[in-house]
Amino acid sequence: MAHVIRIGPYHPLQEEPASFLLTVEGERVIDIDVQLGYIHKGLERLAEQRTYDMVPLLLERICGICSATHSINFCHAVEDILGLAVPPRARYIRTIVGELERIHSHLLWVGLAGHFIGYETVFMWAWKYREPVLDMYEQLTGHRQNSALPQVGGVRRDLPEQAFPEVRRTLDALDGQVEMLTGAVLDDPVLAARLSGVGVLTAEQALAYGVVGPTARASGLATDVRADEPYAAYPELDWKVITRSEGDVFAKAVVRLLELKESIGLVRQAMEKLPPGPINAGPLHVPRGEGIGRYEAPRGEDVHYVRSNGTNMPERVKVRAPSYVNIPSFRASCIGQTISDVTLTLAACDPCYSCTERMAVVRDAGGGSEITFSDLVRLGREKTLRIARELGRKPDLDLEIG
Amino acid sequence: MNDATEIGKRLGRRFPEGIECAPHSPRRLYARVDPRLLLDVARWLLEQIPGLRLATSTGIDLRDGVDVLHHFAVNGSPLVITIKALAAKPGPRLPSLAALTPAADWIEREISELLGVAFDGHPDPRRLLKARTLGDQVLPLRRDFDPRTIKETTGEPPAR
Repeated sequence: MAHVIRIGPYHPLQEEPASFLLTVEGERVIDIDVQLGYIHKGLERLAEQRTYDMVPLLLERICGICSATHSINFCHAVEDILGLAVPPRARYIRTIVGELERIHSHLLWVGLAGHFIGYETVFMWAWKYREPVLDMYEQLTGHRQNSALPQVGGVRRDLPEQAFPEVRRTLDALDGQVEMLTGAVLDDPVLAARLSGVGVLTAEQALAYGVVGPTARASGLATDVRADEPYAAYPELDWKVITRSEGDVFAKAVVRLLELKESIGLVRQAMEKLPPGPINAGPLHVPRGEGIGRYEAPRGEDVHYVRSNGTNMPERVKVRAPSYVNIPSFRASCIGQTISDVTLTLAACDPCYSCTERMAVVRDAGGGSEITFSDLVRLGREKTLRIARELGRKPDLDLEIG
Repeated sequence: MNDATEIGKRLGRRFPEGIECAPHSPRRLYARVDPRLLLDVARWLLEQIPGLRLATSTGIDLRDGVDVLHHFAVNGSPLVITIKALAAKPGPRLPSLAALTPAADWIEREISELLGVAFDGHPDPRRLLKARTLGDQVLPLRRDFDPRTIKETTGEPPAR
């Protein structure tokens, strides 16, 4: 006698909106169905109403974790239309931003994986080590997650090189911490026993479902856009694609942990070799055409298709995030497993429900009073004035309003 | 082998009619395909090119129909092959690729919900993404869609 167990529409552990319907016979899952769309925001349609300069800022808000992924990839697609070469310095800056993002995303997953199996120590460690990564991101870009750096043809702002020594020190500390965490997870007999052989996705299934990123690499497919279609500074840096052949949850954890080490090395090298020069290929007109951008997000290949019509706004922007192809592979990896293994397998591809919706209340650290919207506007104006003064320019701001 | 021009030539030899190849660069191939040939072309590509997978598909609303673009990527290669087929209005329909590759399952359901293309032969054409309160005739990615009409659309029973 089959029963249906519903996980969701608000996932109790991932705290994200998705609904899984597990059809079970006893303990065994015989069918699985996914319901989506709880946070479908119509961003593709919105992107058709923004200029090429504004779209990256919009797409950055698709996801709270891989924010630079979507904005850089939109730039890739438009640069594909134009056949435009990005200046070397901008390529290196994109690499640094992208790899920092991968580090904090992988650490987030390692922590969540620990949380899922009730191994809270791993959760606490991983999330503790993740925090300085966000700090580095802020030191380099001015924000913990949304850098607003990518722009068609390059990046918007340069990185502050005076922050590099501090970032290097944090990276050195992180390197040791990640090594310790990797060793602790890989040597743990309990973790190996719990995760090995669970939720196996074979190489054939991985190819048929078209899965990407660590989910594919753990099944033995050496697919990584950074190597397949080299972009940014990756061809000039020393790193390797990590693969495992087992296809189980443990292999996915191993791939992510070993990639952390590679990413730390990539950030270091990119900072070391950061070439001087312009950061943007300049003002552009986008002619009629179509382009496809690919980018290796923390969860795998991200694909953007852009069709332009000669105006300053794209005619169509199609976004395919990696989880969109990774989640359906659950049908292959979950059926026949027990319920407790399935919940773990569902988490193993690091599903990202396209974004995290959040509201932030900014609190004044001293007095505890909340900063209102008009305060934010005032602070923004003050900053604009200060920058204009420092640059000796007339402020680009209408002070009469407000 | 994994070069857009080369694959374009082979496609042209295998399908002398009903296909029009336009290599954009060595990494990108676009081929306009007669909808009747779509399944054959997709099957041929999946058989002939090792590591080929359907990366995603794009639907674009045009005046004469809905343009459906299937983007195939090749593992270990920078090549992306895009097959375009126009689902002519009124009543746009196309053969489904979901029986060939499970990667087409979700994206065809999405295109069918948002743009109103019927995919013939889809094994599981249930609602995936669109809010269950929106009717089948509400097509948010069509050019004539007016978001202000949404609130007036009353719900239909949930899909399941």
